[in-house]
Amino acid sequence: MNTLVGRSRWTPLLFLAPFIFTFLMFTAYPLVQSVHLSMHQTYGPKTSTFVGAGNFIHLFQDELFWKALGNTFLFALGSVLLQLPLSLGLALLLDRPGLKGRVLFRLIYFSPSLAGIVFVALLFGPIFEKNTGLLNVLLHNWIGFDLEFPWMERHVMTGLIVAGVWMYVGFNMVYFLAALQNVDRSIEEAAIVDGAGPWQRFRHVTIPAIRPVAGFVVLLSIIGSFQLFELPFVLLNNTAGPDNRGLTIVMYLYQTGFEIGDLGYASAIGWSLAILLMILAVALRRVLKRYED
Amino acid sequence: MQPLPNVYEPRNSLLTTLRAALSPGGWTIVILALLSTLLVLLRPDTRRPGIDMWVFARPHHEMYVPNVESWNASRDPDLNLYLLSLPALERRMSSGFLSDAHIGFDQVSHGRVASRAFTGPLEDVGFLDLTDRIKESGILEEINAPSFTPWTSRGRIFGLPHDVHPVMLAYRADLVEAAGIDVSSIETWDDFIAVMKPLMADGDGDGLPDRYLLNVWETQIDTIEAFILQAGGCYFDDLERVAIDGEVNARVIATIATWVTGPNRIAVDAQEFTASGNRLKLEGFVVASIMPDWLGGVWKHDMADLSGKIKLMPLPAWEEGGCRTTVWGGTMLGIARSTREPEAAWELAKHLYLSEDLAQQLYESNGIISPITRLWTREFYDEPDPFFQGQAPGRMYIDLAPSVPHRTSSPFNQIAKERVRDALSRLREFAEEKQLFTIEELLPEARRQLESAHEDIQHRVDRNFFLKASS
Repeated sequence: MNTLVGRSRWTPLLFLAPFIFTFLMFTAYPLVQSVHLSMHQTYGPKTSTFVGAGNFIHLFQDELFWKALGNTFLFALGSVLLQLPLSLGLALLLDRPGLKGRVLFRLIYFSPSLAGIVFVALLFGPIFEKNTGLLNVLLHNWIGFDLEFPWMERHVMTGLIVAGVWMYVGFNMVYFLAALQNVDRSIEEAAIVDGAGPWQRFRHVTIPAIRPVAGFVVLLSIIGSFQLFELPFVLLNNTAGPDNRGLTIVMYLYQTGFEIGDLGYASAIGWSLAILLMILAVALRRVLKRYED
Repeated sequence: MQPLPNVYEPRNSLLTTLRAALSPGGWTIVILALLSTLLVLLRPDTRRPGIDMWVFARPHHEMYVPNVESWNASRDPDLNLYLLSLPALERRMSSGFLSDAHIGFDQVSHGRVASRAFTGPLEDVGFLDLTDRIKESGILEEINAPSFTPWTSRGRIFGLPHDVHPVMLAYRADLVEAAGIDVSSIETWDDFIAVMKPLMADGDGDGLPDRYLLNVWETQIDTIEAFILQAGGCYFDDLERVAIDGEVNARVIATIATWVTGPNRIAVDAQEFTASGNRLKLEGFVVASIMPDWLGGVWKHDMADLSGKIKLMPLPAWEEGGCRTTVWGGTMLGIARSTREPEAAWELAKHLYLSEDLAQQLYESNGIISPITRLWTREFYDEPDPFFQGQAPGRMYIDLAPSVPHRTSSPFNQIAKERVRDALSRLREFAEEKQLFTIEELLPEARRQLESAHEDIQHRVDRNFFLKASS
């Protein structure tokens, strides 16, 4: 009589079991294990020796870690300062009333982000090549630019930021466009009646209305930038480029853990990155909240 | 008081319960998952019994196929030959070592992969220690001694060398001879620059040289290492101690800095294995490149139009009477420690690597000379090669082979190479910023940069608990 009630009590747990199992197996356990690893020097998963906070102490003295951190910050800064204004600009253009072919333009701008990041890296390789690269040859023919200009040697981050902008501007534009299309038109019309010009309307009506989405996009861009790996890895032929100008934190983590085999130090790098991202996310939330207040 | 049963509640049939549990889409996913699981489980095991061998070079694979077939026809266990790309081989090998998976043996290139294998404690190196086998079978005396050094860690040998890879200078004989230049008087790099300089004239009047003399650049880490080894420098000494800040190294990078920038620039970046680099070579934008024996085979394949236009000569020395060759690249056959058939794998390794027929094939198809010294007298090494205007490159390389410098197997060698490249890159920047373009002017900064690289590597070496424990 009571069996159906009993079964139904276990049913949710049964349905949650696959998730709980996979979560414990592939998320919780690796997280705990990586904390354990970060306090060991390792040679692969079998051989390790306890070093306490040694990995973290070495991290602070490690010139390469700081170089990677600097490069990653530079890319994040380039992403936020270049990508986002461009994305917003494109979204504003596509949001104009009466624009024909909006869907087509949206597709065109969005399409680079449909291409895989490895493909983008392979595409930009020949573009940035010196002597025979598309960019140098084009600029040389137009303005006599130096054919030997070494984009991928001395200006790696510039190249990476340009490739990142090309790939993600359309992606972020979609968020902004969705936010713009949700701006209450009656407020804008009221502003027009009150005599507000286009800039005043943009500043005092549009910006406050899209601020939550903008905050989300900024956070997404920063997190994405700090995870940068494939683009420089492929573009620089599995290296970090001369003078490690293309070294990012995740790339350094990969090199340390999977090329040298020190999974312990790699875990320490990974945890430092995670803590850094948490701090950035909290700081960003506070800044946005202050604006909202 | 117990609640009364709801007599109006319809009794759930199994079908009703299932329907209620998931939507039709959900059930479709579940059924597809079950079906695909079943298919995977029922798929026949494609693994072949026997020993697996991974090779990364297609010519090697093609060369081994008939030998492996004949071996398999007469011997047990079978050998399964797999051609993998180098990155795939490196990753599979590393993950195999780290997880203790049963793998057979690999052909491993010098550089990143071997270094990785030697990072940990000696007893955990993923390759089988072949030292005793090599000594007992007399192979140690049969093979050119420098060929063992990249595969030796803390005194133990972990691989059977595949090659020697001496280096010569390949130059555009058509351009040189058309300019009436006689290369026989070249003994040092200074001679090379002085004799070849007329080829850098600005014939088309665009204010730039029509071509550059040498293919070397601050980013070419292998070339930089080859020059340093030729000059007698090293990144690690024979005891595997860090030696990056040596005076010879400083002089070499200061010299290369003057080659790549400033008024005395003679070099251009025409990287190997790239379309742009090949184009610069085909167009004659670069006169000479350093060429290990294996690279000749690559050029023949990738730049057949250069046939008959190239000649080889010993490398110019860094000083009069200095070494006329260096070393670049290298491959070994390593047997995985986890292999179930170590003796069979060892027999097979000897069969493949000590065979005279294969040595001949290796030379004829790839231009690579064997490390087995008793084979160096064979006539096939004297065959003239039309690609090199009828020169006999095999004989020329063999003449230089005994002078090939020793190398290190330090697990930090790859990082050291990168740090020296960075030092050179900063030195070049310094030269441009301060407008200093002579070797003597750049030497103090070269020393400073190398000291910084040395300290960084030393710090990493000191941190490695396993090397300290087993050295």
